Amino acid sequence: MNRFLERHRNIIDFALSSLLRRKAKNISLLLVYTLIVFMVASTIFFMQALKREAALVLKEAPDIVVQRMIAGRHDLISVSYGEKIGAIRGVGEVRPRLWGYYYDPVNGVNYTLMAPFSQQPAAGSIIIGSGVARISRLSKGDFMVLRNFDGRPTLLKVERILPYSSELIAADLIIMTESDFRTFFAFPEGHATDLALTVGNRNEFTTIAAKIVQQFPDTRPILKSEILRTYDSVFDWRGGMVVVMLGVAGLSFLIFAWDKATGLSAEERKEIGILKSIGWETADVLLLKSWEGVIISLSAFLSGVILAYCHVFFFSAPLFAHALKGWAVLYPQFRLTPVINAYQLAVLFFLTVVPYSAATIIPSWWTATVDPDAAMRS
Amino acid sequence: MTVIELIHVTKCFNAGKLNQLTAVQDVSCAIETQRVTVLKGPSGSGKTTLLTLIGCMARPTSGRIMMRGFGTASVPGWEEAEEVEITSLPERFLTGIRRTTFGFIFQHFSLVRGITVLENVMLPAYPTGEGHGAIRTRALELLEMFSITRHASARVDLLSGGEIQRVAIARALINNPSIIIADEPTAHLDSRLSQEFMAIIGSLKSEGKTILIASHDPLVYDSPLADTVVEMRDGRFTDIGTAT
Repeated sequence: MNRFLERHRNIIDFALSSLLRRKAKNISLLLVYTLIVFMVASTIFFMQALKREAALVLKEAPDIVVQRMIAGRHDLISVSYGEKIGAIRGVGEVRPRLWGYYYDPVNGVNYTLMAPFSQQPAAGSIIIGSGVARISRLSKGDFMVLRNFDGRPTLLKVERILPYSSELIAADLIIMTESDFRTFFAFPEGHATDLALTVGNRNEFTTIAAKIVQQFPDTRPILKSEILRTYDSVFDWRGGMVVVMLGVAGLSFLIFAWDKATGLSAEERKEIGILKSIGWETADVLLLKSWEGVIISLSAFLSGVILAYCHVFFFSAPLFAHALKGWAVLYPQFRLTPVINAYQLAVLFFLTVVPYSAATIIPSWWTATVDPDAAMRS
Repeated sequence: MTVIELIHVTKCFNAGKLNQLTAVQDVSCAIETQRVTVLKGPSGSGKTTLLTLIGCMARPTSGRIMMRGFGTASVPGWEEAEEVEITSLPERFLTGIRRTTFGFIFQHFSLVRGITVLENVMLPAYPTGEGHGAIRTRALELLEMFSITRHASARVDLLSGGEIQRVAIARALINNPSIIIADEPTAHLDSRLSQEFMAIIGSLKSEGKTILIASHDPLVYDSPLADTVVEMRDGRFTDIGTAT
């Protein structure tokens, strides 16, 4: 066992010396390799962290949301629908929700306005998301001017700014009382934007949704799982776009690495001949070459992954957050909780380390299997 | 005592093709232990090929090479004193014999460029699984023996011809081989360095090493150190005699 380890240690020692001999070639290879791993790992980390954040926040989302549809478009729903839906067996609580959008022409962004049932601010006051506070330069106690449905300015006092931790989904949020909301938008009494349902048994979600559609054919029930799936799809799609772009870069790298790794120079072939003639077996030469490949690819993999981790979780992915987050203008600013998907990391490992190591070994194997004198003469 | 015996050994390159070349043709001889045997002859006479066959670096096309006493411990099931036909052994056994029994000094010395003198000397011992520290100590002792310790951490590319030659000899000795094989070792050396080389050969002989040298340099084959001089031409032995 000790001899086995010593043999590996000696060969790794020589592999490092060998790599250092071709500093310029190997460092340039390592840099490009690291960059590719960094980009792909950043995308993976970022998408995973975003999906996790969204899933955590949406955990509090209603089990079913019921919207009314007219001509295939979302319309206001009568609160009376809620009373009848509440009577369906299995439905717990039914809460009419009031929310809408407001376009701020000064900053060129959209805000989400809503009137929650609990934790409402005082009349004439609002609670705002930190994104709104940032873009409008508002702090607690300041006044915000919004133009109501007929264009008249409405003065609203900022009572509180939502905490930083909720920024992912609350960056653009403005919360006000129900009466302020109805007055501001001229929102008809007895109507709501949609209905939020809680259902005790998750196995009954689809049955209850079917019953709602049966009773109210003009409604569209949306299950919580569908919202989560939509978020997942959106993030996966964005991630996929980036991966496709990176794929092109990866392909260029593959050609570059293949050229560097497979092309054994006359000098390298002679060296293999020397090693064999002084008592190295074919297996020893292959071990040397595989260690060389592993040292390069593993170093690139580890550096790329560590850099990506810092980039995403310490610096909030400044390089491509805008492409991936997808908020029109009002980008949330938040620090992501570190999430590592072992499966995806393993796939990345096998896609980066294994092909390069194999590409290094194969040409060496061709050279190393000939008689040492032939290798030396060639 | 005979350590290596060649029986009707022939080596063809590109056999069966238009460019077939018979480098060694029906050669039989015995190499005695603790003696200096010199193969002399012009370029292309088959000296180097014969050395590679004896040194287990290539296999003969026909004929047999027998080995006694040395290196046979590398082959499982053989006792030290037993006779082994090395020509039919699988590559890893040949490598084992090559590693433990032979030390090679090549015509151009064939050091690995870009790495240090010390690493070059240590290289043959790396795959043996011996501790790095022990190999290093032995390598430094050899460098000391050849008065090149001060160059231990220098890259071989920066050495003079004589220093390169001594590094190559130190490398050949790192695994403490019983047989030293040197292929045209003085071909690129001036007379002083050639004489220095022969002096080293003399000390190795006195240590009990068996030495095989291929050379067409009179300084080598006319040397009083040469016990047997074998003349080759066109892949055949033309004369086997004791040096004068």
